Amino acid sequence: MNVTVCVKQIPDPALPGELDPSTNTLKRDGKLILDESDSYGVEMALQLVGAAGGGEVGIISMAPNGEVSGMRTALAMGAAKGVLVSDPELSGSDALTTAKVLAAAAQKLGHADLIIAGTESSDGYTGTVPEQIAEVLGLPSVTFAKSVVVDGDTIKVNRQSENGYDEVVCSLPAVISVTAGVVEPRYPSFKGIMAAKSKPVDTVTAADLGITPVGWGGAFQQITGIEQAPARQAGEIVEDDGEAHLKIVAFLENLKVI
Amino acid sequence: MYEWSEEHEMIRAAMKDFIAKEIIPIRDDLEHGDLPPYDVLRKMYKTFGIGEQAEASFRKRIEHEKAVAAGTANDTDKPSRHAGGDAGLTLIPTIELCRQCPGLITALGVSSGLTASAISGKGTIAQKQRWVPDLLTLRTIGAWAITEPNSGSDAFGSMLATARRDGDEYILTGNKTFITNGPYADTIVFICKLDEGNDPKQRKVLSFVLDSGMPGLTQSKPLRKMGMHSSPTGELFLDDVRVGMDRLIGEDENPPKGGRDGAKATFQQERAGVAAMALGIIEQCLELSVAYSKERVQFGQPIGEFQLIQQKLAMMEVARMNIQNLVFRTIELSNDGKTMTFAEASAMKLYSAQQATACALEAVQLHGGNGYMAEYHVEQLARDAKVLQIYAGTDEIQTRAIARSLLAD
Repeated sequence: MNVTVCVKQIPDPALPGELDPSTNTLKRDGKLILDESDSYGVEMALQLVGAAGGGEVGIISMAPNGEVSGMRTALAMGAAKGVLVSDPELSGSDALTTAKVLAAAAQKLGHADLIIAGTESSDGYTGTVPEQIAEVLGLPSVTFAKSVVVDGDTIKVNRQSENGYDEVVCSLPAVISVTAGVVEPRYPSFKGIMAAKSKPVDTVTAADLGITPVGWGGAFQQITGIEQAPARQAGEIVEDDGEAHLKIVAFLENLKVI
Repeated sequence: MYEWSEEHEMIRAAMKDFIAKEIIPIRDDLEHGDLPPYDVLRKMYKTFGIGEQAEASFRKRIEHEKAVAAGTANDTDKPSRHAGGDAGLTLIPTIELCRQCPGLITALGVSSGLTASAISGKGTIAQKQRWVPDLLTLRTIGAWAITEPNSGSDAFGSMLATARRDGDEYILTGNKTFITNGPYADTIVFICKLDEGNDPKQRKVLSFVLDSGMPGLTQSKPLRKMGMHSSPTGELFLDDVRVGMDRLIGEDENPPKGGRDGAKATFQQERAGVAAMALGIIEQCLELSVAYSKERVQFGQPIGEFQLIQQKLAMMEVARMNIQNLVFRTIELSNDGKTMTFAEASAMKLYSAQQATACALEAVQLHGGNGYMAEYHVEQLARDAKVLQIYAGTDEIQTRAIARSLLAD
């Protein structure tokens, strides 16, 4: 079984991020790391291939400056190969363009029985790319997978919903998005880290994949402005006159958490 | 080598993550609660495949030794003893663990480093196969026992522990102290002198491998000490422990380079490892001190604005850079299959240990009253650092080794 995982390489969230005032987007010119939300997809893929008893995990990514640091982490975890789409022309791409690029990258990587993505990236949060990839490739899509079992030519997915989960059966090949915490991502072994550099990563441009127009020119969205997040409001202090618990209950009811 | 490689940095990032999730939450139990360090070390070994890789590397070397013995291979084509052929792979975890709990590296280094090396360096192929794989994977914990109550720096001259021949066997007697992992060790390398009724100074030095639970062997409870609390230290008491020739390392009373050389080779390895430990301690002290200098406000400004504080930070950085360069040199030499001289290892150990203690104490000073409180990590690191100047050869013994080398004909 071959599984392809979409991995986003993002600026390290532990470091202070910076916005580019000319584009209103996050600066991505430094070292990028594997988005933690995609590490769940990589782990899920490795487990599925392991359970199938054969095949391999491939990874695809779109990042500026030929950046592969985050991809190396996925390769060190056990992925076998990758395709990176890196092209200055892609700067400003919206979610749909990203999906088109990743769909083409997936085809370049080779046939996959399953394509896995995180539900949303930790730095963009559009949360629409996995479904768009499925549409571009003409494959079924299952989102918010909290468990996945392969059964012959189908997968059984427990799909997280507001009230619990739906049991979904889907034919393969398919595209699924997995929720954070669905599996416990493994640490890369030292051996895996040493081997990662010699694993093949094919770096291509949008033109190589036959995709035009891209970047700001091809985007259906525009970032017209950015604002500081509003400062946190002071909380309400309730003096306990013996009835404070009722106010707490009313507050929680208002939030619809009880 | 002038900087860490991409792979080294990936290992560091993975180690930092593991330490944050697995070690820092239990640091208080390790440092103040007598929690033995072995379970978390085993988890680390398993997580990163360290034991598995060390065992695979060991098997290759054993196959090579067998081929050399059979005359089908050349002794010069020895496979690297480092997993993956890079000494940095073991030094990065050393540095990162020493930033939090240097005692963990003391316990680990003595077990999978010193004890395993003592057997794999001078043992027979059968002895290596019997004990080394379990030590390298932490399935068993090792201790290396040379120090005695009246025999420290003068390790061989004052050594009282003896082996007496009794037919085909030996009877071992003696007390050992300050033995890292002593209370919990499964496998113990016991260094003693062969008593043939001759002058103690003329006696041969022999090393035996003991297993926990052997009749006549008693392992004490952990001793209370100033620092390195996450490394259990104890005493060993041997009262007529009977062993066969199969437990004499090398199965030869006259090893090719003499029994003292086996121990000296171990000293050398130990001394090189201390530099990486010192680097970890200094890096952590510096990081904490820089952060504190920015946030602590006195006289209306962050204390980092004061020149006396800046001087402390600058001197810590100088030490960090120097020791990092020494560690780089260790890695380069090892990757080229070379070892530094005994005197060079001593010089590196002397400088690194002194700087680790000096930097950790300066970090305490910089933190003022807070630095003296156990709540602040520099307090623990200052207690831990001091032993680097004492174990693996005191500063004074290192100084003597350096001077003797300079003055030698």
